[in-house]
Amino acid sequence: MSLPAPHPIYTLRGAGGALNTLHFRCHGEDPHLLFSGSGKGSIHIWNLNSRRAEKVVEAHSGSSVTWVSTLQSTDTLISQGRDMQVCLWDLNEGRSELLESVWTGSVGFCQCSLLETSPTNYLLAFAAQQTEEIKIIELPSKNPVCTLTPKAKVGMVMCIKLWKTNSGLGPLLLAGYEDGSLLLWDVTQRAKLSQVRAHPEPVMCLTFDPRRLRGISGSSEKKLSSWTLDSQNNIQLQDDVTLVNPGVSQLCIREDGRILASAGWDDRVRIFSWKTLRPLAVLQYHTDMVLSVAFSDHQDPRQRLLAAGSKDQRISLWSIYNDGAGKG
Amino acid sequence: MEQGSMNAAVRLTVTQCFRTLASSADHKDVVAALQTLNSHLDDASQSNTTSAQREEFRRVHYSRTLQFLVSNIHSDWLHSLSAAHRRDLWDDLFVKGPPDQALLVLMDAITELRSSAGLDHLVSITERFLQSHRLADLLWSYCLRSAPSDSPQLRETLLGRISALPDITANKLHPNIRPLFLPQQYYSLLATEMLTALERTCQTLRGGTDCSLSFLAQTLGKVCIQGHSGPVLAVMAPRLSVCTRSDMVWQRVCWKLLENVPQRWMEVVLTGLVQAVSGPDALSRVIGNLALTNKTAQFILTHKLLLLQYKYETQVLKTILGYLAADRDRRPLLIQVVRSVSQAWANPSAVKHTPVEQQLYVSKAFLLSVSLLKDSDLQELRSDLLQCMLGGMQSHLDSSVVRIRNMGMVVGECVSSHVDINGTKLKFEYEKDEETRELLSLMTANTCDEPELVKGADSPDDTGQTSTSAQESVSQNKSDKTNPGSDLDSDDDLTPYDMSADQKMSRASSPRYLRDCLENLISSDDAERVELSLRVAESLVRRNVFAAKEISVQMTKVLLHMEDKFNTSGFLRLRQATMVALTVTDCVPVTQYLTTEFYSLNYSLRQRLDILEVLALAAQELYTPITDAKLLTPGAAACTELTRHPKNDPVHWRQAVEKRIQSKTKCISKGASQPAVKPCPNRYAPVAGYFFFPLLRNYDKPEVTFDLLGSDHLVLGRLIHTLGLFMHLAVNAPMAAQMGCALLDFVWAVRYHADQMVRRGVLFAVCSVFLSMPSQNILLDLSDQLFETRTWLADVAEGDPDADCRSLAMQSLVLLDKSLKKQLQDQQAQSLES
Repeated sequence: MSLPAPHPIYTLRGAGGALNTLHFRCHGEDPHLLFSGSGKGSIHIWNLNSRRAEKVVEAHSGSSVTWVSTLQSTDTLISQGRDMQVCLWDLNEGRSELLESVWTGSVGFCQCSLLETSPTNYLLAFAAQQTEEIKIIELPSKNPVCTLTPKAKVGMVMCIKLWKTNSGLGPLLLAGYEDGSLLLWDVTQRAKLSQVRAHPEPVMCLTFDPRRLRGISGSSEKKLSSWTLDSQNNIQLQDDVTLVNPGVSQLCIREDGRILASAGWDDRVRIFSWKTLRPLAVLQYHTDMVLSVAFSDHQDPRQRLLAAGSKDQRISLWSIYNDGAGKG
Repeated sequence: MEQGSMNAAVRLTVTQCFRTLASSADHKDVVAALQTLNSHLDDASQSNTTSAQREEFRRVHYSRTLQFLVSNIHSDWLHSLSAAHRRDLWDDLFVKGPPDQALLVLMDAITELRSSAGLDHLVSITERFLQSHRLADLLWSYCLRSAPSDSPQLRETLLGRISALPDITANKLHPNIRPLFLPQQYYSLLATEMLTALERTCQTLRGGTDCSLSFLAQTLGKVCIQGHSGPVLAVMAPRLSVCTRSDMVWQRVCWKLLENVPQRWMEVVLTGLVQAVSGPDALSRVIGNLALTNKTAQFILTHKLLLLQYKYETQVLKTILGYLAADRDRRPLLIQVVRSVSQAWANPSAVKHTPVEQQLYVSKAFLLSVSLLKDSDLQELRSDLLQCMLGGMQSHLDSSVVRIRNMGMVVGECVSSHVDINGTKLKFEYEKDEETRELLSLMTANTCDEPELVKGADSPDDTGQTSTSAQESVSQNKSDKTNPGSDLDSDDDLTPYDMSADQKMSRASSPRYLRDCLENLISSDDAERVELSLRVAESLVRRNVFAAKEISVQMTKVLLHMEDKFNTSGFLRLRQATMVALTVTDCVPVTQYLTTEFYSLNYSLRQRLDILEVLALAAQELYTPITDAKLLTPGAAACTELTRHPKNDPVHWRQAVEKRIQSKTKCISKGASQPAVKPCPNRYAPVAGYFFFPLLRNYDKPEVTFDLLGSDHLVLGRLIHTLGLFMHLAVNAPMAAQMGCALLDFVWAVRYHADQMVRRGVLFAVCSVFLSMPSQNILLDLSDQLFETRTWLADVAEGDPDADCRSLAMQSLVLLDKSLKKQLQDQQAQSLES
């Protein structure tokens, strides 16, 4: 028996541009916030209680904002723009001051990846000036850690994900490239651990679940490709999921590892069971490509939200599979 | 001289005994007389009779003695005998003497006596007679006589008694019949006795003495012709097939037995045998080269069982054809069979006029026989087979019955691949159902692995083992599955949402106006736009009734001529739905257009069939009342929508509880709780004539491209079906009477059409006429035709090769009778009232 198709619980309008990226910050006592980066270069900070934009940061001088994130420890916002800058902003006490900026030199659309190694230190991976090159630096010291360049010809780097293993190995980096290859890099050794051709088309997005050592990647075609890491850190391709319409711009796994959301070029967000990759729901609201999806990090799992940002300049918020027992 | 005196002495003794028994009241005298009679039967000769005397007594006086005893069965002396005496002296006389005479006397007596203690006594003697295997002795005694010593009449009577014993006893004893006299038991017993006689024959032959099997063969034939071949051969065939496996004497005895079966009974024996044996090898061992030596047997095996009858299992065909193929001497027969079967298969008249079941049977025989051919035979037959196959394919594919077409395709494929015409073979697309699969399997599995009875003993063991191992593996599988299953369990509670709206995206937008839609359909070369237009066309037509009426005929014309240029998915369905919507919306002009186009030039059969389909669907839609739930109250629809998704919200929860309460509560006034059906006008009745009459107009005018009464019988069948449907829907319409008359007139011309689909259509139309026409009109308007129609229907119900036609004809007859009866009763009632 299927439930009727769900509807968004509310939407946020007025971003004034395509929503390239979304980021929740809901774990504290503060008003729960949603950060969004628009194609017009502004970062909106939405208050989820009042459902209004609390503040708008005009960053990156009008160039499209491709990525936003926050640091767990401090009230610091990180944003990446197409002006080839990554900026750190201080949000303390209602401020929005530029703390630092890093020049990346990348003209692509590859979003950065952030890994907090300690309360004060964190690693930032970003695509560098050479199209196939990835740079990792340590912040806030801005010390370069390494530069990863594949020997084989794989084209432009499309998406990266930096993560830390439980096994005590140094941080690893997964990267998707223009020719559809996935590469696993060992950051400390600066060496490629494994490579696999997951798609015939460029890898548009990937996400990885470090607990299950399992990830999934999307492309401009009609299928999602899932893969696992075996004990030798080799990428093993697993099942494919076939979509109705081609093109995925972002994939996101919820923190509890139960569901996966995909932002489709067909204006729809799709929900899959992360264990079985069984399709569970199709969220239809937007009238243009969905560019980003994000799950909120509420401490109470019942409040968890899914946000989807679209090219139609709207953000839709959904409450789906939220009660702890999973009773729909 | 001495002989004569001895005979006289025996006669004297016997007569004296009779006299004593008849007159004496003295117990001792009676016993003595009986003992004397018994002593003439006793071979263990402590008695004072010579063997010559005993021989004479058996030959001449035995029957008389028994008859005398039976006639005195109610006399006092018999009752005064003690039970032991009666058994030893009286009963033994029946069991010890020549069995043929005893059986005859017993049977006669049982037939003649009234039910009494005497009859019961005789019945138990007969039972004892059978139990002590006197039948085997009887048969065996006839095997020993090389020349028949008795008259043919006597033999005939004896045969009759042996084969009909259950009937004779049943006539008399019903319902107190003994189990041994029941056919099932008796014939099994008879079969065992025959086997015993055969066994003895074999032993004697090994000893070097000749035997005659003619009486045995006659018994077998007689029993079989009386319809008991099943139980008899079920016992005999397996035993014979085992015995003949290694023993040449047994084989010869079997062959001789079957050769001796009289010609008139050969057929039943052979058909029974063919069904009872386990396979071709067993058959060839049992009957040998009977098919070569005996003309009747040859005719039965090569012609009758293959081409004239078709009730047998496939196994029978395998047995017969395998038998023919097994021996070098018999192979010419196989080739002859292949020729005749292939001709029968390819015969276009047979394809048209014989029942489908028979055609299936012939196809099976054809495939089996071809699969048995060797390469050398194939060389010889190739051209013949090829010719037959091509001709047969054509007539099969011409048929309007799907099963026959499938048969033709399967046989064509198989034969062409087997005959191997320079490596080319036919390949068809057909649906693989049970029947085609069976036909295909015939070609591959021609190596008949005969289930052997000898090995049967240890086979249950094997199956037991395999089944247990299978069970083990199943349980293993289960445990394997449950382990990862526990991991998945937690995932199953994520109930999926409705994802039906998740359709393919298309770039272009669908047209909003009917005229745009029509424009796209006429002129657009963009596949996507045409598809979108097709998809929305039906709903546009239904939503904008006035716009649709303006362009209805034009749009119908466009759709009718439209081709599936872009391989649109669901093209036919969408086109049809739109045309139906147009017809329903603007009924009169569109039906006028379609019905005229049906008979005009330059349409393909497909288009004409489309016209009929559209008209039929439109008529059906017009006939069905507009239901409230569908159109008038969207709330109801929403309710039904809700019920599909439980756990949704409290409204649904309340509904569920109410429903449960209702189901548990007994409503006394059930009638009132349900709202009465709202009457609404039948939209079809006023326009029925527009659908119906124009289609009757030009059927007999052949066009260059369309010959309804000639080769295009496919369309004719559909046309008549459609007309029948219009008639059926026109029930209660004022036009129904005229329509019925016209339809009966129309179908009269084609009532014996060669194509069964047409005949079915005709019968369907007749059925619907009788259903829909008011009964008074049937009597008034059709009075002159009714008689002929009835005889025709009765004729079809009896003799049509197609089972559907027969049942439809029966149905029509019943409907007609019912209608007439009702009308006549009404008239009577009216006249009584007045």
